[in-house]
Amino acid sequence: MKKFLVRTFFFFFPFVVISYPLDYGISYFLSKSNDASGEFEVWSDIYSSKVNCDIAIYGSSRAWVHIDPQIIADSLNQSVYNFGINGHNFWLQYLRHLELEKHNKSPKVIVLSVDVFSLQKREDLYNPDQFLPYMLWNSNIANFTKSYKGYNGTDYYIPLIRYAGKFEALKSSIKHAVMNTSDIHYRTNGFKGMDREWNTDLEKAKSNNVSYEIELDNKSIELFELFIQECDANHTDLILVYTPEYIDGQNYVSNRKDVIDIYKNLAVKYQLTFLDYSNDSICLNKQLFYNASHLNKKGACVFSKKLAKDIKYERIMTQL
Amino acid sequence: MLFNSIDFAIFLPIVFVLYWFVTSKNLRLQNALLLVASYFFYSCWDWRFLFLLVFSTLLDYFTGLKMQEAKSKKGKWFWFWLSVIVNLGFLGVFKYYNFFVESFSEALSQIGLQVNPWTLNIILPVGISFYTFHGLSYVIDIYQGRIKAERNFVDYAVFVSFFPLLVAGPIERATHLLPQIKRQRTFDYVKAIDGLRQILWGLFKKVVIADNCAEFANQIFNNSADHSGSTLVLGAIFFAFQIYGDFSGYSDIALGTARLFGIDLLRNFAFPYFSRDIAEFWRRWHISLSFWFKDYLYIPLGGSKGGNWMRIRNTLVIFIVSGFWHGANWTFIVWGALNALFIIPSIIMKANRNNMENVAQGKLLPTVREFFQIVVTFTLTVFGWIFFRAENIGHAFQYISGIFSKSLFSIPTIQPYYIVLLIILFILIEWFGREEQYAIANLGLKWRKLFRYAFYYAIIITIFWYAGKEHQFIYFQF
Repeated sequence: MKKFLVRTFFFFFPFVVISYPLDYGISYFLSKSNDASGEFEVWSDIYSSKVNCDIAIYGSSRAWVHIDPQIIADSLNQSVYNFGINGHNFWLQYLRHLELEKHNKSPKVIVLSVDVFSLQKREDLYNPDQFLPYMLWNSNIANFTKSYKGYNGTDYYIPLIRYAGKFEALKSSIKHAVMNTSDIHYRTNGFKGMDREWNTDLEKAKSNNVSYEIELDNKSIELFELFIQECDANHTDLILVYTPEYIDGQNYVSNRKDVIDIYKNLAVKYQLTFLDYSNDSICLNKQLFYNASHLNKKGACVFSKKLAKDIKYERIMTQL
Repeated sequence: MLFNSIDFAIFLPIVFVLYWFVTSKNLRLQNALLLVASYFFYSCWDWRFLFLLVFSTLLDYFTGLKMQEAKSKKGKWFWFWLSVIVNLGFLGVFKYYNFFVESFSEALSQIGLQVNPWTLNIILPVGISFYTFHGLSYVIDIYQGRIKAERNFVDYAVFVSFFPLLVAGPIERATHLLPQIKRQRTFDYVKAIDGLRQILWGLFKKVVIADNCAEFANQIFNNSADHSGSTLVLGAIFFAFQIYGDFSGYSDIALGTARLFGIDLLRNFAFPYFSRDIAEFWRRWHISLSFWFKDYLYIPLGGSKGGNWMRIRNTLVIFIVSGFWHGANWTFIVWGALNALFIIPSIIMKANRNNMENVAQGKLLPTVREFFQIVVTFTLTVFGWIFFRAENIGHAFQYISGIFSKSLFSIPTIQPYYIVLLIILFILIEWFGREEQYAIANLGLKWRKLFRYAFYYAIIITIFWYAGKEHQFIYFQF
């Protein structure tokens, strides 16, 4: 028995010894890459305390590709960063907020892009690879991602385990270790203007004649209210923004109006500014969109200018 | 809890340490630990089905004792049939009820009678076919006087629910496993190391071969109408390697795990894809089930004693029942019948026991004739797998007609070169290890430690590279 245990121990010992350094190396080079739709860039900026902006833009992909921080910054003369996280609802937008607050100076203003999906909670952890370099022994990431189908409990605590079977992440890490590609950025201050033409997603959905009803997640709504209260307590100005959706796609979600009413009611309840572009003239111009819910680069430019102007007009920035 | 999960990687060392360090001096305690661990292992799927497992165990335990104590033949007969009927009743309700009522209703609709059958909305308890067959073999053996009933409930319960074999076999016999459970086990270094090596190879088969093949086999089978004939052939071959890697990988992990606890389980696979005829294939594929049907169905039906017609009839019966054992679907029945048809010519020509030895025993390569026989047998097997994998009979025929189209000779639309390379590497390792219990049992044992360890590390790294998908084992659904 002793011989068995000793030999087994020494057989696995090299794995134990190299697991953490190897994990660190893989994570380091992966975090330098611009993969995962550029999410690594944003997370790395947060964890390396590089952000420290005056205005933070939160939301999903509809924040990420709609609001150009440079246009807002030029217009308001403030530093701006876009923290939009692709494919995720408020649950994980809040995680990004927590990590931002933990590693950086708190923003003075938060512009939160809300939409019909914000208060829903998906089952799968979309784009799970984006958490890989940062999730080891990170309790915030563990707390906010473990309720999704994505990672096991051990992935958060045992080095290397979470990289098992992650070909793309491993390949990407090796690629960035071999070639220095850290100068190639996918996003600029978190934003990516999508240089795309209108695609046929909406036509396909229409041909299927499918209507979709949003199932609101009570825990997400509670978290949303908690976030509003936290902002108030920290004297952070919170602006809710409903960014434009193309007019023909607006009927796709059957309870769209009810969801927008929730934001309106919360804005009244907590005396927040709610900039509602859900029926703005931009919604009528197909050339500004690449699908029913996303503006293209040109649309993002038009919308960002309008948003900057509206924020100014609302005199929200006076205290900055 | 899957064998290829982190949960199992944590569970196994804990049980191992408790087994050899805390309970090793007391056999009763050791068996009690195995039972608790096995019930915990099973309840990780669905704790509610634990009651079914315990009930089935209690039933066979008590009917076994009652049969032994029965003073008359009639009494013995009564307890025997009570056990058989209740066991098969559970299997019938959980596995076959919906199939029977739906098939009956379909048959009625063919003659113009419309009925709305009452179907059950239940999930199949994991491993029910396996532990039911364990229990059945036990009571049949007692009834036929081959063994005596086990008086110690814990020992009997470990025989039924020993966690390595609980959910997908091998289907053990009381004559083989119970004496090992009742005997004081001492730690055997060579056996334990061999067990670890077999677990490693089983994981390679499952994670690297089966799960990778599954990805493409599923892609091709699920959209078979969109693919060329050559791609469909590739899909069927991928499925052949998926099911082999999956089930034999599971069996290797089960056998290796049991060896860590000083217990030898029945061998379940013996390199079936190197078989030279279908009869040999069935002596090498899911061996514990084949022999179960041989001993408890084929021989009671008369076996080979009554001439050709009797042998053909009995062969058809066991293959159809075996197909049906796999699942409540006509595809499995056709798959079983098809294999019977493949084997019947060799029975008629009395050639079904021609190839009892390993192919090319003691030689590096097979002869041209042997190679040709292997290719033909593999082709027939792959053809049968199409029915096994298809959603229904219509799908199977559509798949086969898709193969025999003009596009059979086109270049496949899916070309996963890396999997083809992995399969070739896998076949080579299996070929060179075909005379052993499992392919890497002896591979590298005479190499310098550095190279041997490098070989094992390479396997572990490959498993790590491809792991993370946690696909279910196919045979868990049976």
